[in-house]
Amino acid sequence: MPSSERFDVAISDLSVRYPDRDTDALAGFSEAIAEGEVVAVAGPSGCGKTTLCRTLAGFVPSMIPAAVSGDVHLGGDSIRDVPAEALATRIGLVQQDPDAQICTLSAWQEVAFGPENLCLPAPEVRARVERCLAELGIAHLRDRVTTTLSGGEKQRLAIASILAMQPKVLLFDEPTANLDPRGVQALFATLSDFGHAEKRTLVIIEHRIDALRALAPRLVLLDRGRAVERYPAREHVDYAEVGLRGAWALPPSETATGSPRVVVDRISFGYAEPLWRDLSFSLREGEVLAVIGPNGGGKTSLLRLLAGLAAPQAGTIERAPETRVGFVFQHPHHQIFERTVRQEMELESPRSVGGVDAELLDARLVGLEEAAPLSLSLGEQRRLTVATTLARRPNLLLLDEPFIGQDRNNVLWMISRVREMVADGGTAVLVTHDIPLAAALADRILYLDRGTYLLGTPDEVFGQLRDLGEAAFTPEVWS
Amino acid sequence: MTGTRGLHRSSPMASFVLLLAWVGTVLAVPSVIVEGAVLLGVACLAFISGDRPTEFLRRLRFVLLFALVLFVAQSLSIRTGQVLLVSPVRITAGGLLAGGRMALRFLVILSASALFVRTTDPDRLAQGLIRVGVPYRYGYLFILALRFVPFFQDELRSVREAQRVRGIEVSVRSPRRIAHAARYTFVPVLVSGLHRVDCIAISMKGRCFGLYPKRTTSRVEPRSAWSLVALGIAGLAIAFAVVAMRGRWI
Repeated sequence: MPSSERFDVAISDLSVRYPDRDTDALAGFSEAIAEGEVVAVAGPSGCGKTTLCRTLAGFVPSMIPAAVSGDVHLGGDSIRDVPAEALATRIGLVQQDPDAQICTLSAWQEVAFGPENLCLPAPEVRARVERCLAELGIAHLRDRVTTTLSGGEKQRLAIASILAMQPKVLLFDEPTANLDPRGVQALFATLSDFGHAEKRTLVIIEHRIDALRALAPRLVLLDRGRAVERYPAREHVDYAEVGLRGAWALPPSETATGSPRVVVDRISFGYAEPLWRDLSFSLREGEVLAVIGPNGGGKTSLLRLLAGLAAPQAGTIERAPETRVGFVFQHPHHQIFERTVRQEMELESPRSVGGVDAELLDARLVGLEEAAPLSLSLGEQRRLTVATTLARRPNLLLLDEPFIGQDRNNVLWMISRVREMVADGGTAVLVTHDIPLAAALADRILYLDRGTYLLGTPDEVFGQLRDLGEAAFTPEVWS
Repeated sequence: MTGTRGLHRSSPMASFVLLLAWVGTVLAVPSVIVEGAVLLGVACLAFISGDRPTEFLRRLRFVLLFALVLFVAQSLSIRTGQVLLVSPVRITAGGLLAGGRMALRFLVILSASALFVRTTDPDRLAQGLIRVGVPYRYGYLFILALRFVPFFQDELRSVREAQRVRGIEVSVRSPRRIAHAARYTFVPVLVSGLHRVDCIAISMKGRCFGLYPKRTTSRVEPRSAWSLVALGIAGLAIAFAVVAMRGRWI
């Protein structure tokens, strides 16, 4: 057991079990984290990473019921009997889903919310808000209504709102999940300053450890609630070898030569302001198109147009006859309707018990057949929506950020299913911020920014992005 | 909340006082003249604040319809005063007056509230309420209630899109189909809403909400002549109500 006085965070034999589960989410986990240290925690989906964050922040068990044993000391003091709102003065958690974190209606007020609760003098609150908005690159959003922000903008706002409280220990649960590559670079530059200049301790849960390289973190690998491996800071780790996401060496796919599945002709679309004008391209049978670009560039809007859920304001989209659209939404809970995972799988077409069991096994959801879908982790919910979508046998598959919250094996499962569908003559359009994965998987890349679009093979598009000074959107920066 | 004219520039507290004055006046003085005058004042202020007349009427179309129903129901059910018509239905002057009062009161309360919501930033209003001594937990209850309006709108849109994508047909043509629609529409939205309530409660605690009895209100409320205008109109409404009560206007 670590000596609690010497460390900022000392975790001793921590076990957590949720009431509706048969196994421990954390099983005797111990770790000691020194002041100013940067620690990355990685591991397979469902290994207990988010539970660790929630327990350290005091949300488990005080607000999320669970049986907890062991102890956590913060600066020498046990957190056992400290209410979450008092603990928050010393430890701040940026949650996985930024939508779930935002409490107010204006961006400025959201960042001010924490410092105001700390009863800081008003000029100090205002100074912190302005500084954090500027550091996260969202000063221009200060007067925006929070519900109108894009996913990436909300993520930055959620981070700014925690940074403004200046806790001694900062916990991040997948901070890169909704951020574009430019935002990821800016975030880690900010966190690096925060850690080094202000000696703050950072604990970062992340599947994409490659994105954390700038922070040179110490790495702790979790599996089934236990620490299974530890790597010191700055030690070279082959991420793929230890089962983490990093470089992708996928076998090349065959060149798509099928007939056009979708023809997009000079479409324009926007909300208060236009997102893009005169966008034209066609999608062939047997093709994977990856759509990349900054937050708010219109990637999700494009998928909605391709699915026929919205109409372009100008131009046309023509789909081949017999096109069956499958759409995996960015937020899985929107497309979950049933009470159990099994019923969810059988929603569109009743299938044999064995068939459903095989699909659940394939999607790594076995054992969760009778669980309520909305009680699953975000990663599990996303795999469930991929499985239910594929069960409809679509030949135009639209995937909006499907890899968020997925470990390497789950990503490889999704890739294999996408490639199977494409090999059968299907077409896949994939929105992602994971540039190395887009480079390895896609036949063509579409880069969408407000008013700009680039389309071509991965080599062509990444070459043009380099010329435009957008290196963050090229794979070599992340490998 | 988008706009820069008229009440958009008033402080939320001044707008709130004006709303209370308008509502208080029509509730305290049951007079068609007073209620009509206040409704005219609300409409004028809406136009000055950027609403076009057609837009103002379009927004109130369901309210107008309901006001008409109220007027007819009251006119037919109250039978006091001079009889104006006997057949096919009995209509009296007292009934028409009562119906007019009820319909106008309803229109004033709804249109004034709608104008207030449209021109007032709830965050700023909550801060204003806290400044004048309302406990901040109640002030934030108000914000959270409003926070959920766009949330439910977005959730409903997303759930409907998911139904289309998954081929779930929703119709209200029979009780069985209504039950089916409720199951696949309102249940997911409601479950999602309850889940979101839990998440936001956790998020608020995670940012020290409730740690101290008081909290800072850091936003500086800019001075605006429109705050004085709103308070002036509120004062006039109250004075008008007092005169009307003394003069026993109907």
